[in-house]
Amino acid sequence: MSEQLDHSFRGAQRALAAALPPGAMLDRGGALELAALNPSEAPRLIAATLVEGGSMRRHQVGEPVAQFAAFLDGTQVSRVMTYRDAVPVVHGTVAAVVRERRDRRMGTWGRPIVRHRLYVPRALVPAAFWERLESTGLEISDTSDAADGSGTPHPFALRDAAIHRVQKDRERAEHELAEQWCGSESRPLFVDGGISGSAVAQSSCAVGVVKSHRTLYVEGADLVTVLALGEGERSSVLRITSPRRTTVASWYLRLRDASGRDPLWGLVRVEMKAEDDASAGEVGHRADEISRWILAETSPVSLPDARWDKMVYGIRDCEEFLKVIQ
Amino acid sequence: MMGRVVATERKPNTPHEFHFWTALDSPVGIGTIVRVEGSTAVGGQVPRIYGVVVEGFSYTDLQSPLHDVMGHDGAPGNHAMSSTERAEIRLYTAHVLRQIPEEPLQPVPMGSVFLADDADVAVALRMDGYLREGESTGIPIGIYRAGGTEAAIHLDADFLLGPEAAHLNITGVSGLATKTSAVEWVMQSIFTHFPASKGSVAALCFNVKGPDLCFLDKPGILDHADRAIYEKCGVPAGPFENVQYYAPYKSDGFSLNTLRSNEALLDNVTPLTWGLREVLQYAEVLLNKDDVDAKADAMIDFIKENVLDRPFSDPMLERTHTVTSFADLEQWFRDVLRALEKKDDQSWRTHHVATIRKVRNRLSNISTRCKGLVADDGAVSDLPFGTFQDRTVYVVDIASVEEDAQDLIFARVVTRLREHLERRDLGVNHVVVFVDELNKYAPSDGADTYVRKMLLDLAERGRYLGLVLFSAQQFRSQVHRRVVGNSGTSLFGRMDADELATPGYAVLSPATRTKLSTLEKGQLMVRHPHFTQPIFVRFPRPAIMRGRDGAELYPQATDVTLEHAVTRSLRALDPSVTLAWVQDTIIMHEPEAVLKARNATVRARPDDVRAFFRSQFRPTVSGKAAQRPAAPAVLRTTPADDPYGF
Ligand SMILES: Nc1ncnc2c1ncn2[C@@H]1O[C@H](COP(=O)(O)OP(=O)(O)OP(=O)(O)O)[C@@H](O)[C@H]1O
Ligand SMILES: [Mg+2]
Repeated sequence: MSEQLDHSFRGAQRALAAALPPGAMLDRGGALELAALNPSEAPRLIAATLVEGGSMRRHQVGEPVAQFAAFLDGTQVSRVMTYRDAVPVVHGTVAAVVRERRDRRMGTWGRPIVRHRLYVPRALVPAAFWERLESTGLEISDTSDAADGSGTPHPFALRDAAIHRVQKDRERAEHELAEQWCGSESRPLFVDGGISGSAVAQSSCAVGVVKSHRTLYVEGADLVTVLALGEGERSSVLRITSPRRTTVASWYLRLRDASGRDPLWGLVRVEMKAEDDASAGEVGHRADEISRWILAETSPVSLPDARWDKMVYGIRDCEEFLKVIQ
Repeated sequence: MMGRVVATERKPNTPHEFHFWTALDSPVGIGTIVRVEGSTAVGGQVPRIYGVVVEGFSYTDLQSPLHDVMGHDGAPGNHAMSSTERAEIRLYTAHVLRQIPEEPLQPVPMGSVFLADDADVAVALRMDGYLREGESTGIPIGIYRAGGTEAAIHLDADFLLGPEAAHLNITGVSGLATKTSAVEWVMQSIFTHFPASKGSVAALCFNVKGPDLCFLDKPGILDHADRAIYEKCGVPAGPFENVQYYAPYKSDGFSLNTLRSNEALLDNVTPLTWGLREVLQYAEVLLNKDDVDAKADAMIDFIKENVLDRPFSDPMLERTHTVTSFADLEQWFRDVLRALEKKDDQSWRTHHVATIRKVRNRLSNISTRCKGLVADDGAVSDLPFGTFQDRTVYVVDIASVEEDAQDLIFARVVTRLREHLERRDLGVNHVVVFVDELNKYAPSDGADTYVRKMLLDLAERGRYLGLVLFSAQQFRSQVHRRVVGNSGTSLFGRMDADELATPGYAVLSPATRTKLSTLEKGQLMVRHPHFTQPIFVRFPRPAIMRGRDGAELYPQATDVTLEHAVTRSLRALDPSVTLAWVQDTIIMHEPEAVLKARNATVRARPDDVRAFFRSQFRPTVSGKAAQRPAAPAVLRTTPADDPYGF
């Protein structure tokens, strides 16, 4: 039986080193995500439509209740393996997992996803080089569409393009798992990040919890109200629509007491299916309920993760799990 | 599968140690025996490793305790019902018992970990080498229990009773370590399983503490769990069948100095009395303590060679002396010293008068200190050297005799055993000598006494002779190193923390030491030459009446009068003897003469007890008849309802 090709970063390094001229490989590539992604988008405010009551208010959600049956998260790592002239060859790994809570302990639900790929703009490298890459048997994703056609772009721009492609792949993996869950389970799933890009935004089994606030969906006095949320309080429910995404119902929720901290500390934005024919009262009632579920997940704390104010333990558990298997 | 082997750069596996993790509810504990199945074949064979768990670790993904404090806002009661438990690990360290194949010796590989079953335990402890059907030399010591496994653990008789290795030592705190009980159990197991091909075996126990060993032939109370262990180990759950007791008299010369003095139990109790010859042979046991010099030694030798047991005459003396007892010897000394005084001479036959006086003092001291053991009339009633019986326990009760007498008994009995075993005429091929409170007789510090030297010699050379030392003490660190060091098998019961802190225990892991300091009754840690690591076993209560129960059930005979004592002794030979008859017979005679007559009768076991006894008082009959008795025939019991037949 022939050995299966190892697609992991190390395996790909070996395969490429064998296919390329000596000395072509970079010694070691740090993960690009650390260096690149963060300050990509400018912070912005976008107003969304209020669907609960006539004005933005603070609501006490009540006592925490543990209801989530499982947690979903995905991770990605990309590294430059070599440059062909000024074009980076990026290796990306995406992984996603659903960790189910059974008898108060976390365990893996179904099969986690792990995918490895090379990300290379075919249009920008010589055909022979492309063929050499293909000859290794590694899976290659063509990122040509990231180039604007005006000659060779800045290598960093190509690198960022690759990272965004990896990010898309990660989201796809996450969505696949979320859909699998919703296809076979009716118990609620806690999803890290928004759900509007996924089919599960149309089902009530998944709740998205967003930790980053580069875009805030409130303005003016409403923003002041949101930032003033106390521990265990949520905002009124909004409807968030965007061109290529499913419309979702969303609200802000303060997980922890932020006094003495920055105003976004402990603040998350929750996304759930938009119930078009529900009354405002029903929507508010449902938001309270889900908020109580989320509050129940603030213990145990997810320290030492830097985002522990917003990250629940179940999601940290997914990330730790993925670190091991990817 | 119960666990998986893991190794990291910081905690790598070695050829003698490995690590594995298990589910949180796995039945693994300190002392559990496990089997590892490797995954990669080496030289065509997939390695199999057996190990015993010596350390355990548990932790969660919490990186700092402070994180938990923050998570609970500083109030331990907050979120007490956290909906998720942190990820948690049970990580164990095991020491390798055996690797298969044994060569090449490699670090333990990654693999799957299983709870060892019966067969695994046998292989892990190399018991497969000596438990072969038909030629087994296994002596069950208890059972190993973990998860669903229950395996009998066997010692190898070749390594417990010689010739490969020998001796057994047990350590542990008083009362909780079950030391004495464990030795009783092991002896029962030996008597049951000692292979016929290796010959006969007897035990000689010194009872040094209260009623400890006084009821070895009486049944004890066992519970269901005890019986199950007897069953599993194939040892009958009953008391010893053949037990013989020996005890000296008290200083009155006629009541036995033992807690086994109840009339109902006397049928296998024999008095232990020695004459001058027996004592002089071992005089140095007692005399070296008193700093006896070479001159005194020479004097004693002179007496042994020229005076003892033969007519001695000297022109200077008033008469010819035939010295057979301390009383005779005293007469002789008096005669010698009087003659020297008369002549106003300072020395006699090269012995200075001061030396003569000193030796006389010392010897007369012995006869006082060992009164009860040393018969003034020179009568000897001894252990049946030469006719020791297979599977018989001989108990010498020295619990309430003086220290000097203890030492003397000790030294003489062990030396005699040794001499007979050397000549192969003891009656049995192997003798287990059990010495409790070993720290008293072979202390690590203090003077180099005769008894300690003797125990050392026994520990170092006994195994070639079939002379085996089983010993017990509370603190192993207080016993002479070479005595315990030569013990092939060591048992440990509940241990004291201070003792565990002494350097001898540094090789044990902290968890093993913790386990030792909390061991429950009936659990022991065993070291044995075949086991590369200490193993924990359970053993049952001995099927023997506990000392204090026996002492309650069979209260000591109250001290009796001379008439009663004589009646009791003679009735054992002839039930028709009555107190009135004895009173009539002895009324005219001195107590010494009465005892002498009684002793002579008991030794001779004549057909006509009354006539023989009466004849002892006739002046023409010599009281000297000190032949060594044959094996103590079992005496007839006195009817319990009519102890004296008054
Ligand atoms: N296998 C057993 N299981 C439970 N209890 C036992 C077992 N063996 C003995 N015991 C009990 O433990 C107690 C102490 O036993 P033992 O006298 O043998 O201890 P020891 O270590 O010799 O004590 P000491 O140092 O005082 O002589 C006794 O009451 C006995 O009944
Ligand atoms: Mg004891």
